[in-house]
Amino acid sequence: MKAERLQTLAEAYGADLRRWPASDRAFAESLLAADPSLRAMLDEAAALDALLDASSAPTPSADLAARILAAAPKPRARRFRLDRIVWYLGAGWAAAACAGVVAGVGLTTHLTANERADAVLYQSTLVAVDDTEVLG
Amino acid sequence: MVAIVDPDEDLVRRVGQGDPAAAQTLVARKLPRILALGQRMLGDAAEAEDVAQETMLKAWRQAPKWTPGKARFDTWLHRVALNLCYDRLRRRREIPTDSPPDRPDEGPAPDRGLLAAETGVRVDAALKRLPDRQREAVVLCHYQELSNIEAAALMEISVEALESVLSRGRRALRLALADMAPGASEGDGR
Repeated sequence: MKAERLQTLAEAYGADLRRWPASDRAFAESLLAADPSLRAMLDEAAALDALLDASSAPTPSADLAARILAAAPKPRARRFRLDRIVWYLGAGWAAAACAGVVAGVGLTTHLTANERADAVLYQSTLVAVDDTEVLG
Repeated sequence: MVAIVDPDEDLVRRVGQGDPAAAQTLVARKLPRILALGQRMLGDAAEAEDVAQETMLKAWRQAPKWTPGKARFDTWLHRVALNLCYDRLRRRREIPTDSPPDRPDEGPAPDRGLLAAETGVRVDAALKRLPDRQREAVVLCHYQELSNIEAAALMEISVEALESVLSRGRRALRLALADMAPGASEGDGR
């Protein structure tokens, strides 16, 4: 970095190297360390910085902060939503219907088995019938 | 694209979830900065309050849908506040008023012994008289302490152009406040 660049940066960003571009800062520091007379280039900028710092920043009033905070996002409340209730009811009815089908199928199978067993027993008791009548 | 590290990321996420403590922290952290930006850009306390309030209300709306990693929230806030400031500056130009500037430059007065507060008033007046773009550059880089890259991005100019605008702004301020420089007041006083 040449002294001219140092001058340009001081005129733009002031004397405080923390305000300088990060890419120029380290090299400017080494340049100033090597040649302390270059610091004179920063004096004029430092005087203006001091004047600019005399401008005080306003303090936000409590009223302004309260007005802003009153409009801040609120925590999402757990509300009962109609669509969710309808969904839960529907799911309940569907589960009940499925249970009914399963029970019905099971019961039917059980009854059919009993009927068949009865039929076999009945046929085995038919002693009076000639086998040739039955079987031909 | 490199993800941007944002020190406000977690805070903004909690604000978006409706955490009142996070909202309070964000107001404490950002409101003074945004109010100061508005005050120095507009030179009017009431207008600066309006801009700060409107900016923070936009922040509340933005927080729940904020996407981390794309930009810093502080830079986004500055963008919003600057847009609001420029809207007001444009309106001022469209509706010229007869009222004089807030406080005319009183010129050299070394014998009066300027107090720090008076120096501040003089500086604010000189700042207010700068062209808008020069004032914006000085405010962003000196007072808001944004990096040159952030300031240039906000002003939608190159870093080289920012340096040029800054130099012109600071030169104009130095001339306007020449009588207040340490050497000048001593010389005038004798």
